[in-house]
Amino acid sequence: MLLIILLFMWCVGEILINYRVVRKKRLLFEDRFTKTICMAIASISSFATALYFELLLPEDQIATYLLPVLLGVFIGWQFGSLIKAPASLNGLYNGVIGGVMGMMLGAVLKNPALCNIPLDSNSMIASNLFTITIFIAFSHSLVCFFIRRSMRG
Amino acid sequence: MEQSILLFLLYADICLIIGFYMYIRKMRKLIGFHLGMNMSMVMGGMAALLFGIMLITHMPFHFTYITLLSAIIGGAVGAWFGLLIDYQTFVTGLTNGLIVGLMAPMIGTVLEMQMLFVWFLHAFFIGSLGVLFISIKRA
Repeated sequence: MLLIILLFMWCVGEILINYRVVRKKRLLFEDRFTKTICMAIASISSFATALYFELLLPEDQIATYLLPVLLGVFIGWQFGSLIKAPASLNGLYNGVIGGVMGMMLGAVLKNPALCNIPLDSNSMIASNLFTITIFIAFSHSLVCFFIRRSMRG
Repeated sequence: MEQSILLFLLYADICLIIGFYMYIRKMRKLIGFHLGMNMSMVMGGMAALLFGIMLITHMPFHFTYITLLSAIIGGAVGAWFGLLIDYQTFVTGLTNGLIVGLMAPMIGTVLEMQMLFVWFLHAFFIGSLGVLFISIKRA
């Protein structure tokens, strides 16, 4: 669990840095660039955040299934409403998609019998969970790096 | 028998993707950024979906590695097709391929009639390639 808390803090830090960079340069964007940025950043950020939230919350309460989706909607809305009105719709849609998908992946990782995945011992479930979360943290920071690099030029 | 059909279909998919890449590389002066963005999204998502479902049907006991592999393949194919046009199509294809590739093995594990779904998916893939081909011809 400590590893997931650390990865969650890393992910929130990346999102805040990206938010600051986009906010500082928001007057320089054209329409197409706005669409690309909103799509990429809202989908992968809300995916990673919803996954970590789903893994950290206790099982089988209504907040476990509702809070990650609301968090995805919030992230998409924040990033979309920074720039222009049509981008707000795009960011909202991609945030909802990312939030629902992250919640689904988290539920399957906690209980692989939901998807008929033949992993039954506790140690195999734990190693599966850690491998996939580390990979998602890596890909999230890769996409964030590409987005920051595209704004520099 | 099913396993050899799966491996043959996997090989045919790799050949189709590489052939389509070669065709687009030849025609890339004609393709604008709008069509390029749709093209990288379709190719990255379809490659991730095909590889995830067919690999999990072929080897059902390696869920973790197949998830990682299909996400990497989807992101790489989307980025590879997007790099032909410009930087923003590259970012779009990479993100879309990653997201679809993380989801694809989960669909593969809950299926009941797997071969039927694989054949349907190939019909869908060929159809989307045909639509892309027609829209490149008209551009």
